[in-house]
Amino acid sequence: MTNYLYAVGAALLLANAGVGAWRILRGPTSADRMLAAEMITTSAIAVLLLLSIISDQSALVDVALLFALLAAVAMANFVTRTWTLLRDDKDTREEAGHD
Amino acid sequence: MRLLAWGFDLLLAAGLLWLAWQALFTPRRFSAVVNFMAFYLLMALVWVRLDAPDIALAEAAIGAGVTGALLLTALGRLPAGTSTGADPRRWQRPLQILAMAGAAMAALWLAWAAYQLPRPGLAAEVTAALDATGVSHGVTAVLLNLRAFDTFLEIVIMLAAVVLVWSLGPPLRAFAPATALPGLPALSHLLHPLFLLVPAYLLWRGTHAPGGAFPAGAVMGAGGVLLLLTDAAPWIYLRRHRLLLHLLLSSGMALFLAVALGGMLMTGTFFAIPLHLAPTLIMAVEVATGLSIALMLMAFYLLGEPGQ
Repeated sequence: MTNYLYAVGAALLLANAGVGAWRILRGPTSADRMLAAEMITTSAIAVLLLLSIISDQSALVDVALLFALLAAVAMANFVTRTWTLLRDDKDTREEAGHD
Repeated sequence: MRLLAWGFDLLLAAGLLWLAWQALFTPRRFSAVVNFMAFYLLMALVWVRLDAPDIALAEAAIGAGVTGALLLTALGRLPAGTSTGADPRRWQRPLQILAMAGAAMAALWLAWAAYQLPRPGLAAEVTAALDATGVSHGVTAVLLNLRAFDTFLEIVIMLAAVVLVWSLGPPLRAFAPATALPGLPALSHLLHPLFLLVPAYLLWRGTHAPGGAFPAGAVMGAGGVLLLLTDAAPWIYLRRHRLLLHLLLSSGMALFLAVALGGMLMTGTFFAIPLHLAPTLIMAVEVATGLSIALMLMAFYLLGEPGQ
């Protein structure tokens, strides 16, 4: 019974990630899209933890751990290297230029 | 429960196809990159559903960490408002159709070849040979003992890729961020112990469970990328550290080759590791290749040779 509930929760969280994919499609700025990707990461972490309980595989917790660690790097990368002021157009932010 | 599993898998497959379509055909470059990163996340979930946690681990480490970081940085270097390439010219249409038809044919052929493969694969043979390899996890046994030559060639390919990237010129300096980022140094200070602890844990896990040098190296490489992002590794740019950097980059390959040649001296076969030495040697090779992979991924991220 508990496993059944966990499986329903995992499916719901996956649908939640689908809502995040819709936000990636809509935008409107690159920061929105990046946050949507992070939201999908968080959903995927929760799904992995639930799956690890359902299927009794502790290796999935490691995968979730990697996702959690690397999401921080992706975000740091976005703010320092993508969301930058380019030399060519110092007045406009990248978010205005790229979308 | 069965129905639910089916529903979950269908949802996963539909999401995967949709994200792949978005990543390929969206007119916005940034949107394409973010869709690609989300695609990797779902792909890791697919590997989990296919009962392949080893591949899920590698997929998570390489896809979510390093590929995403490289793509985001490349995007940040591109000037805004250039052509997106989603609108082919008229004379390109036949070529496009030809390419798509070729890809479809190749996919069908691959599917047929995969269908023809013997089932359930070679898992039973690997399990039977596990006692002679010195490790207790099948995937590690295949990667570092039974098919060690393939793994060695992978390391060589990565080293060749580093040489190629470095041949492009001096490392690129980052543009100024759009806002002040006071939290970034604190974040990197908090995360650095974890970026050392987790790879060590993955290396240790590799001998008896999913883990090993590739995921460990990729996570450590992501930690190195964080160091570069916060400008916390100025030594890598110094000219007097060039030789050290080159030595460290090739150390994994060198140790792997030394083990292979040592095996040849002792047993007469290239890459044959004597059983009583196998656990120690495999662990040493894993540590050295893990460190090398981490440094190689960091070296990609410099986008040019430092110290020039």
